[in-house]
Amino acid sequence: MNLIELKGIQFGYDTQQVAILDDLHLSVNHGECHCISGATGCGKSSLLHLIAGELSRPLDGEMIRHPALMVGLVMQDPNVQLLRQSVGAEIAFALENLGTPSAQMLEKVQQSLRRVGLYISIDTPVEMLSLGQKYRLMLAAQLVFEPNLLLLDEPWTQLDNHGVQELYFVLKNLLSDGVAIVMVEHKPQAFGKLVSHLWQLDRGKLLAGLYLPSVPHGHKLNIADTIEIGTAAEERVRIAPHRFQFARRDILFRCANTLTISGGEMVALVGDNGSGKSSLLKALAGIQADIGQLPLSVLGKRPKLGIYGANVCLLLQRPSRQLFEQTVLSEMQFSLRRFQLPLARAERMLTELGLTHLAAASPHKLSYGQQHIIALASLACLKPKVLLLDDPFAGLDSVHCEKVWQLLLQLRHQGSAILLTSHREVPLDDVDRVWHIEAGFLQDKSQSMVLVDAS
Amino acid sequence: MRVKPRRGFVAGKWHRLGGVVSETHACALALLLSILLSSAAFLLPSSVLWVLVTINAGLIAHGLLLKKKIAVLLRLAAVQFVTTMGLYSLFHGESQLLEGAIVVLRVLLAMLPGWWLSSTQRPERLGEVLSWGLPHQWAFVIAASLSLLPFMSRELQEIYQIQCMRGARITPKALRNPKNWPEFIYCVLFPLLIQLLKLSKQMAISAKLRHFGDAAKATHWPSTRDHK
Repeated sequence: MNLIELKGIQFGYDTQQVAILDDLHLSVNHGECHCISGATGCGKSSLLHLIAGELSRPLDGEMIRHPALMVGLVMQDPNVQLLRQSVGAEIAFALENLGTPSAQMLEKVQQSLRRVGLYISIDTPVEMLSLGQKYRLMLAAQLVFEPNLLLLDEPWTQLDNHGVQELYFVLKNLLSDGVAIVMVEHKPQAFGKLVSHLWQLDRGKLLAGLYLPSVPHGHKLNIADTIEIGTAAEERVRIAPHRFQFARRDILFRCANTLTISGGEMVALVGDNGSGKSSLLKALAGIQADIGQLPLSVLGKRPKLGIYGANVCLLLQRPSRQLFEQTVLSEMQFSLRRFQLPLARAERMLTELGLTHLAAASPHKLSYGQQHIIALASLACLKPKVLLLDDPFAGLDSVHCEKVWQLLLQLRHQGSAILLTSHREVPLDDVDRVWHIEAGFLQDKSQSMVLVDAS
Repeated sequence: MRVKPRRGFVAGKWHRLGGVVSETHACALALLLSILLSSAAFLLPSSVLWVLVTINAGLIAHGLLLKKKIAVLLRLAAVQFVTTMGLYSLFHGESQLLEGAIVVLRVLLAMLPGWWLSSTQRPERLGEVLSWGLPHQWAFVIAASLSLLPFMSRELQEIYQIQCMRGARITPKALRNPKNWPEFIYCVLFPLLIQLLKLSKQMAISAKLRHFGDAAKATHWPSTRDHK
């Protein structure tokens, strides 16, 4: 049964700009799994919202919806979709709106939870769930009203490998039940054989195949790469053995050995969602509350907000939050001005990144990837001694990822000590060392790998 | 992974009283009490404000017992105290400082019941109570706004910290100088407003896609299921 058919769809947000969907055709039937890839900002999410019937702007073309079509949509970040505080109430929200009698809700809610493999109490506060669990909760909140078309926006990006694996089996069961799935995804390989139709969105049109950007993977570290300043041996970050835990909470992880980062070193901190990576980064920046006194040292001092000036920089997730100036150039010059550093560094940085055309643009009108790069570049031009980055590649396509790597390699070359977090494995070729938070322990995995190799 | 549910809401305690008062009725009483206390903060004469202070101390103790955080509210009150006392001192001299302090106290006493209500009551239950007298859509918006308060305080703190690290002149010391106040607005409040607008738009989409407003009369997630 054909659920929805798009014929010659033309759609744009601004009449003065090129339409982001241009003469687009798509037909989705029961039990099919369509995967759409494409560059960041090319209109993939807009297409999902259009299929969901939620875009209010006018569009050209024809959209034929089956009368029985029921659409469920899970957006990229499940946090922004949460409307209630407990698991049961969150899932029951749609039932309330459909006028389902209260007496029937409990069974339907529990059934949906089981369907997505979440075996938790319906009274569990939503804030206690990991990101992967929240994603499945949002899926359950859609499945409870039995949609026959499910739309997923970049599930791989937000979930760790464990979360992706769990989602894989949930989707497999849904497809076998006849539910159709349309997902927007940079990494369709993660969902392997489930995908029946692979598309790439290119200049507003859907073409068969996977989007492969023509950007070479050229960021491998050259260990022999000389560091500009003679600071390679200077220890910048020291983490002595400790137990990392919030006040009145269970231990998040233990650190049994002393870990250090020196100038000109790039270290990746890898761990699953909710393992404590972001909290450790904030603790190193001196802004994490409720963790007491930990044996951490950055530039020889106990971390505290406001004592490092331009020497320690931190990029948190959703870096677009820090943008507030009228133009990209003034945004990048803000910190340079405050720390009395040469303003010309901002223009030089834009030139190096090939982004001079954005200098006069408003940072609020940029795409997600561009905002990400500008936020990072505004820190990079301070040439900090220590740079802490929380999941700097989240949600970026390979073009923007490559730009981030380019920036990081440049900073490493200039002698910065860099610690970046990731919920996915980072190849040892790309960084100097990899730390892992695994099974409740923080350890330098690269050291143990070297030991294994030696033995 | 199994998650151990946290018991913290007042509802369970009401049930233990013998099931006489349901969670929804408890929420209605809490809402009524909050409105009365907040109104009283402005209506009562200064001589009997101590009664309100005592009752609000009880609310704080209850909230803290349930491990709810009050630091942001107290910080806000401290900023308001410093600002108000500064302005009173500037315009009325030292003789009127006590009046200034009472004004700050009244504002704090008006805010505390709201903090207690949003900390101890579930938004869906508040929504149900509000829908007794308001259209369902209005009740949802009010309940959702209340549940946004913790998000707002977290975002405010993170954006403030990010901008401090970027060198913005918004540290407590820098903010003693009124010249730096606009920087706090541009660097912190403006991005916070943008985040809130984005979030409210996404929440609206999320609600709409889950059929919000479709039924003529919405039903409610039962509060008495634990008994059953």
